[in-house]
Amino acid sequence: MKTEIQIGDKVYQIEILEPQENLLKVKVNDKEYFFTKNELGELSFIEDFKPSLKETEIISGASSEKEIKSPLPGVISAIMVKKGEEIKPGQKLVTLISMKMENEIISEGYGKIKEVKVKENQFVKSGDVLIVLD
Amino acid sequence: MIIKNYKILDSTNLKAKELARRGAGAWTVIVAEEQVGGYGRKGTSWFSPKGGLYFSIILPKSNVEDLQTLTILAAFICAKTIKENFNLEPFIKLPNDVWVNGKKVAGILTENVIGKDVKLSVMGIGLNTNIEKFPKELENTATSLKIELEKKVSNIKLLKQIVQSLKEQLKTISE
Repeated sequence: MKTEIQIGDKVYQIEILEPQENLLKVKVNDKEYFFTKNELGELSFIEDFKPSLKETEIISGASSEKEIKSPLPGVISAIMVKKGEEIKPGQKLVTLISMKMENEIISEGYGKIKEVKVKENQFVKSGDVLIVLD
Repeated sequence: MIIKNYKILDSTNLKAKELARRGAGAWTVIVAEEQVGGYGRKGTSWFSPKGGLYFSIILPKSNVEDLQTLTILAAFICAKTIKENFNLEPFIKLPNDVWVNGKKVAGILTENVIGKDVKLSVMGIGLNTNIEKFPKELENTATSLKIELEKKVSNIKLLKQIVQSLKEQLKTISE
């Protein structure tokens, strides 16, 4: 969401984005401020935010990849999205359990789910297509 | 090594993921005196009353294969730390658990968030150190160092040794 406000003589360009779940970015002219929800659900300011998920890259546009593939072999333990759903950067798509680890597979861009190719408890190999985007 | 101590947390892994998302650096360690929602693989619960050592480490960005190796090595490191500090013979129950005298004493759960590459990784370790007693349903399968040794152990000493060893191991496997 973009807007412009004027206080006295000064005009401020304001842009509000949600680059990841539970992360709010407020851009005032060229300065960026980040907020998150605390345990009580209240918005709290994050001092000295370092974008660990390279959020500037992530929010820059739609996902260029049309297929989301499994990064490693394992078993699908949960599917968080369904056909037709719009997804955004940082959104959890599936959880994959490999022998030693639990892996949340997230979206890197905006898109719409065309097809979910896997089911819960299904074994997948590295490189298998999990989700196809429109 | 930055150590963040909490009296009580749902889960140290959940807190570590939240802090990593907010930009907390690699090797930040999150410790809770008590967890109310401690969990292991596939969401199985991990009994986490006061007295035990429950911590999660924000790992540096690494490739998935190295993280997998590190997770297996974490069980070896926990076992080695127990063996070196106490007169006990730990047994590694692959891939993620450590047993002493036929009962579980430690468990490890690594969680990754992956997009095109690994975005963040945390490793949670639950070590039953100074737990006096387990509930009936666990007493045949779980034990603590205090029960085995009949004395209290230092949580902070074990924590520092384990994290230090993991740091050295990851350096070796990433090279």
